[in-house]
Amino acid sequence: MKILAIDTATSASSVALGDGDQLAAMSVRVDRRGHGGFLVPAIDFCFESAGWRPNDVDVIAVDVGPGLFTGIRAGISTAQAIAAAIGAPMVAISSLTALAVRAATGRRRIWPVVDIRRGQYATRPFLPVPGGVAPDGEAEVVTAEGLHHLLDSDAEDVLMVGDTDDFPPGALRGLHRVRRGRPRYPSADVLLEIAAFHAQRGQYVRPEDVRPLYMREPDARINWTDFREEGAWPGAAE
Amino acid sequence: MTGPLILGIETSCDETGVAVVAGNEVLSTVLASQMDAHARFGGVVPEVAARAHVEAIRPMVHLALRQAGVHSDQLDAVAATRGPGLVGALMVGFSFGKALAWTLGTPFVGVDHMEGHLFAPRLEHADFEPPAIVLLASGGHSQVVHVRNWGEYEVLGATIDDAAGEAFDKIARFMGLGFPGGPAIDRAAEGGDASVVRFPRALRDRPYDFSFSGLKTSVVTYLEKAKTGNAVPPLADVAAAVQEAIVDVLVEKTYNAVEATGVDRVAGGGGVLANRRLRQRLEEEAAVRGVALHLPSPALCTDNGAMIAAAGEFRLERGDVTPWALDVSSTLRLGS
Ligand SMILES: [Zn+2]
Repeated sequence: MKILAIDTATSASSVALGDGDQLAAMSVRVDRRGHGGFLVPAIDFCFESAGWRPNDVDVIAVDVGPGLFTGIRAGISTAQAIAAAIGAPMVAISSLTALAVRAATGRRRIWPVVDIRRGQYATRPFLPVPGGVAPDGEAEVVTAEGLHHLLDSDAEDVLMVGDTDDFPPGALRGLHRVRRGRPRYPSADVLLEIAAFHAQRGQYVRPEDVRPLYMREPDARINWTDFREEGAWPGAAE
Repeated sequence: MTGPLILGIETSCDETGVAVVAGNEVLSTVLASQMDAHARFGGVVPEVAARAHVEAIRPMVHLALRQAGVHSDQLDAVAATRGPGLVGALMVGFSFGKALAWTLGTPFVGVDHMEGHLFAPRLEHADFEPPAIVLLASGGHSQVVHVRNWGEYEVLGATIDDAAGEAFDKIARFMGLGFPGGPAIDRAAEGGDASVVRFPRALRDRPYDFSFSGLKTSVVTYLEKAKTGNAVPPLADVAAAVQEAIVDVLVEKTYNAVEATGVDRVAGGGGVLANRRLRQRLEEEAAVRGVALHLPSPALCTDNGAMIAAAGEFRLERGDVTPWALDVSSTLRLGS
């Protein structure tokens, strides 16, 4: 099972190729902008180093957010185009899940945090379970203050991971049961693991149903036109 | 089919336009317009635009290929707008196009949106060749361009404040006529008498430049004065007068350029060029001066994928293939 994974939902962009449990190639860059300039060269580099051709890929995994809106859209557009051209199914993964999966080593309840700008953070509690994590509550958007309140009211020992380095000083003061840990960013190699899990169970998303997970309405709300596709992608190797 | 098979993608503003073009033949052109989405705000909201593009891009490319009866692996190249425009909006079409080209193993061409407009007349007028003076006017831009040769452009004049389409939008909004303002004022002006009031024409002393920000102020002042005097003229008359003021300036500056350069060919592009009064005035003036006029049909004046494919084909033939590492550029400038 060959998988291509793309993650541009945060300041860290990454692309990874994996075959079963094996990481075949990976490329990473940390840059809040420039997702668009990173992606295809990184993909090209990974395929070159792994000696793969696009058609070798069985599944495409992409981080759909929450995170940086423009980065998320660049990642999804890129993943959708490749999936369309080779007729591959997709797996859509939340950046919060990717963070939690990588952090799942101990027993603490995991609170991954993703900076979605404007002083807002997306978070969701997860429990470590054998072989991974399980969501243990709803995803929500909070301010640093709101996050303090959330963590403070959690009676368990907590592991907080994600992009909290830019928190205002003292934002997490007095949280004695909270330990801060890694990773800071979600990354494509974790997406590979998660996608392999879903692929083994045939849990795919149709490429046209892969949509960004913004967790914040735009300043102006609109009613989306629903774009429906008919028939197979022209030229896709079904 | 004559010439390479090219997929053109346009997502610089509020239209997701995709087309398949071979030579100058448009095999398909589809558009997901967000007009209704932005209508209630009286203008394009960047985040709303970007969100709609990412929902529309795959279905629109799919539809364009199907309508053209083309398989994606038959494409010779993929072209997508690189700029200028809204970064978040550009990013969607540019990323999709680039990744599609990479996967198919075909060249990718990042196209200057304005150059796309310059190539639009070619899709319907095979004889459209430089040198020419081209008036580009839309909600985002207003320029008079001297096309010396394909790929060789001199921007003679541009707006110093609002774009012509922006002026239409702002005034239409104030008059309660809806969005986009160009077509709204065009409709409202039907049967109106433009001579009831003459709004000022700005920048008479600069041959090719535009200024439209003062016009809205004049309209507001005029209507408020009329209201207090209880002598509000028919809406159609005011709309006609507004339209006449904008059209007058656009036509005058365009033909100033024709006169100064001695070029005998005129064309246009951008959403404002769909305005019927503007088209009529450009035609009248062309006839008087004996110059050739090549106005694309309204669907090719507004943003579309076909013009991006057409400009992309030219770039491809010149060997201007875009490196994978190139990103969008919201401030791309024609001729630079
Ligand atoms: Zn345009």
